[in-house]
Amino acid sequence: MSHSLADRACIVGIGHTEYSKDSGRSELALACEAIGAALADAGLPPADVDGLVKYTMDNNDLVDVARCLGMPELRFFAEVPYGGGGGPLGTLALAAMAVATGQARAVVAFRAMNERSGRGTPRFGQAPTAAGADGRMGYLAPYGLFSPAQMTALAARRHMHLYGTESRHFGAIAVTCRHHANMNPDAMMHGRPMTLEDHQASRMIADPVRLLDCCLETDGGAAIVVTTPAHARDLRQKPITIAAAGMGAGAWNHRFMVRDIDADASESTVAAKRLFAEAGITHDRLDCVYLYDHFTPLVLMAFEDYGFCQRGEGKDFVGDGARFRLPHGDLPLNTSGGNLSEGYLHGMQNTIEAVRQLRGTARHQIRGARHALVTAGNGVPTSAVILRADA
Amino acid sequence: MNDVTAFPFPIPEYGSEPYWAACNEERLVMQRCAACRRFRWHPAPICTHCQHAGFDWAPLSGRGRLYSWTVITHPVHPAAVAKVPYVVVEVELEEQPGLRMISNLLGADPVDIRVDAPVSVCFERHPSGQALPMFRLVPA
Repeated sequence: MSHSLADRACIVGIGHTEYSKDSGRSELALACEAIGAALADAGLPPADVDGLVKYTMDNNDLVDVARCLGMPELRFFAEVPYGGGGGPLGTLALAAMAVATGQARAVVAFRAMNERSGRGTPRFGQAPTAAGADGRMGYLAPYGLFSPAQMTALAARRHMHLYGTESRHFGAIAVTCRHHANMNPDAMMHGRPMTLEDHQASRMIADPVRLLDCCLETDGGAAIVVTTPAHARDLRQKPITIAAAGMGAGAWNHRFMVRDIDADASESTVAAKRLFAEAGITHDRLDCVYLYDHFTPLVLMAFEDYGFCQRGEGKDFVGDGARFRLPHGDLPLNTSGGNLSEGYLHGMQNTIEAVRQLRGTARHQIRGARHALVTAGNGVPTSAVILRADA
Repeated sequence: MNDVTAFPFPIPEYGSEPYWAACNEERLVMQRCAACRRFRWHPAPICTHCQHAGFDWAPLSGRGRLYSWTVITHPVHPAAVAKVPYVVVEVELEEQPGLRMISNLLGADPVDIRVDAPVSVCFERHPSGQALPMFRLVPA
């Protein structure tokens, strides 16, 4: 028997609420709705779910979710730290490990938040206003360095200095995600096209990071159901195999998102190291990629760290972004609009779209899509998976 | 008290009190390992390079170069409203490659700011009374 996670778990259900600026209901209601939709998609009764995994920062309590949905016996419960870095695929990795080792039979991973309206979750783009800052923030906050966008700006500036990366390369990623959002009526930015000129004209947040380099803020919920290949045969959907899953962190991550651009390694290189070997594929087998798009400079760096190109070559790999755009691009990126333009469910919605593509049920289907890479937030301890559709 | 006219003051913790106390005397110090003699930042109970426990608080020259910088124009904190634009810098200190701290750059026109520009430390009092190490460009 294999000692890796490869092929021992699969995704059988996906579900989400609408993505909005004000959901008008509680975070618990959003979680229940998203999970309910994912279970209906799977054809799995809630009572058959015996595991729940959440992002540590999700305000929902697992047993409260289980009580509401009618899950009488939870044999596995866990949570993954580091927000949008650990959460989106770390939750899937834990769910996969749980079913692969028999600790649970069907596990749901979810994220639900009122992040835009602030009803339950504070807006990430706003700093806490406590008079004092402790721990590692005590060395940043007194200088007015609070937000992930501001920290990303320092990394982006250094990258530009070392490698000649320009704002237009970041813009190419923003334009790509907006292009895909305009093909997706569920996206928050549907109907609001963006050109590179719009990107370049958008106001600076923290030079060189512009407003249109930043992800959205969103209210909503999203959920994914994981089980074993054997159990999946009894369920409704074509299962999507978790071909490889991993997490990554290192000494560079001790300063939040103030990245060490000069270091050869990063949390993402750690996550990437075994991922492709475990999945038994090379990059050229990927039909689509879902790179966590909190801030466009970090998407460019993710292409480097996940081995699509060498460090410093991200600007040439990204170019004008045409290669990432449906329907003609050879490497479609974040095909439902991503965190930047679909909705910011901390990356969960990127995985959901990857599953749709691999099932063959996407709104704008990539013909014959078989392999997808999905990554979580970089610049913080991270996680990633390679998903596969079997014939 | 919640004084939102100022950025948060640093709350000294176990292991970091000597750093902040030295700042109040306008001295920049960091932990230096008694075994490998390397500096580490932020404060940590053991050497992050060789895991030795012994250390002293060694003075730094306060000179370094800009590793990176950003001009913050969008206020995300109430106190930032009156401060934008302000410059946050990552300074690599001259004592050791990779020894980098976050601070503010004072008195600089953004058009004059460059990666690798030489800087030197100065100290500014936070309204709480705590002195914070900040930096200025070294005139060419």
